[in-house]
Amino acid sequence: MSGRHSDRAKIRPRDGMDGEARRVAAGGDAMGRREMNDKTNTRADYPSHPTLGAEKSGDVVREAGGVSSDDKYRKLIFFMPTALWQVDSRAAGAAFAQLRAEGVKDIGAYLDAHQELVELACDTVLVTEVNREAVSLFRGGSLSDLIKPVRYLFAATPEMAKRVMISHFEGRRSYVEEAKILTFDGELRDVIFSVTYPTPPEQQEITFITITDVTDRLRTEAQLRQLQADYAHAARISTLGELATSIAHEVKQPLAAIVTNGETTLRWLEREDFNIAKVKHLAGRIVESAYHASDIVQRIRLMAVRAEPERAELDLKAVAAEAVSFVRHDFESKQIALSLDIARALPAIMGDRIQLQQVIVNLLMNSVQAIDHADAAERTIHIAIHPEADGFASFSICDSGPGIAEEDLERLFESFFTTKEGGMGIGLAICRSIVAAHGGTISASNHPAGGAEFRFVLPIAGA
Amino acid sequence: MHLPNPPVIAVIEDDAAMREALSELLEVTSLSCRAFDRAEAFLAEFAPGKFDCLITDLHLPGMSGLELQKKLNALGGGLPVIIVTSALDAMSETRSMEEGAFAYLTKPFNDKVLIGHVRAALGQGEDPSS
Repeated sequence: MSGRHSDRAKIRPRDGMDGEARRVAAGGDAMGRREMNDKTNTRADYPSHPTLGAEKSGDVVREAGGVSSDDKYRKLIFFMPTALWQVDSRAAGAAFAQLRAEGVKDIGAYLDAHQELVELACDTVLVTEVNREAVSLFRGGSLSDLIKPVRYLFAATPEMAKRVMISHFEGRRSYVEEAKILTFDGELRDVIFSVTYPTPPEQQEITFITITDVTDRLRTEAQLRQLQADYAHAARISTLGELATSIAHEVKQPLAAIVTNGETTLRWLEREDFNIAKVKHLAGRIVESAYHASDIVQRIRLMAVRAEPERAELDLKAVAAEAVSFVRHDFESKQIALSLDIARALPAIMGDRIQLQQVIVNLLMNSVQAIDHADAAERTIHIAIHPEADGFASFSICDSGPGIAEEDLERLFESFFTTKEGGMGIGLAICRSIVAAHGGTISASNHPAGGAEFRFVLPIAGA
Repeated sequence: MHLPNPPVIAVIEDDAAMREALSELLEVTSLSCRAFDRAEAFLAEFAPGKFDCLITDLHLPGMSGLELQKKLNALGGGLPVIIVTSALDAMSETRSMEEGAFAYLTKPFNDKVLIGHVRAALGQGEDPSS
């Protein structure tokens, strides 16, 4: 990093074009040079070729032609709202040519072993021109603050220098990396760092670097992700609310059994003929039911907990089985038969168990409600879990409900789209978000035999 | 006191732990019981006069407790029905009482309350020992 700007002359507007500026512009190697002189610099703090080596500068002058046309481009480039650097990387090019002659093939390995070459490049590859936006991005005082060896471009992402060199050595056209830069006033910014290399017979001294500040965009994206997480959390809690009746029933069963067994135990203890085997048996039952209640509470807590999505190897069968157990009571009370078709050999998938259970519970509840609402005579839900081609595993659920209206099929996964009275229309939207976040897809269709079919596929672990 | 035909309580409860707990409670209270996991199983054994009291859950797989009440009312015989449920909605209670439930208890229930209702249903309500 450099603090040189602080004691440099500040950008000063300057009207007209004096003789000095004209001369420099006619020198012709520099985009924006004239404007820079016009607007911002005095001769004193901006020499005509502040950075080029003496033996190179002659080439530059000779190669640059079409002055008046270049002037127009320079002016445009100077005012372009993209931070642009022109870099003379012939120092690196010469070194590369020598390495090639020595038979170096794996430049990455070579630079790993010769870090000093990267350091040398940082000090000898020179910025020859920059535009106004570049000065602004680095909070420079003047253009000349940026005209120097490229090291300052890599201050916040030093290892990128090597990657830029590797791409250059390998003869690539360009290199793009998301990186950080350190501005002259000490702020880290997130940027897209792009390099465009010259390819013979183009002028070898001109490498372009553009740097796009994406700090604000990334911040907005992070806020958006946070909102989505909040939204998913709210939906999760909302689904929990819908399941509350079912869960209350489920947790009260073992609690009632504990109470009754405890009271029965007390009654035995008060009897003169109490038998110790009976009391032991009841105590064992109490412990069993207490564990059962605790397991249920734990599952509820896991559903409600605000957790970062986890990535673990999961058995989709087990995930589905636990999700089914959440809504088991609804199946029974609504007299819906569940049939399963599960592949014997199913590779593990990568994902967040709780989130995927949310998806399955949502799909199950939708099917249960569809069947119940239609008061269908046939009341069945069929779940199939299979490995698919191309490294995916699929989960599908078919119900014997009325199916989905054709005009609704497309909008089904949109937020706030609902066909249910009192529905919020977020369940399937969340399902889609979760499945997408797992690298999978979800779709809905009407089964040829009638009823709705929802199907999602997820990538298997290590595929 | 010797009863020539000791009363038999029927219990219908789909949750195995709760079903066993009810059976144990009735056993320690010296009441005979027959437990069923669903209404259909109970109806298969039902005959007027065979049972003296029925304790049933409302949420059952297959026929619900309320449907069973209607069925028993249609069959006649006046079997007292005690509802024991984890449902908290007033509608369930109103409907069950309309169908003539003898008592409506929510889980978890107090053993003395349940046994008190059972004794009352059996016409032993005056017995203060339980």
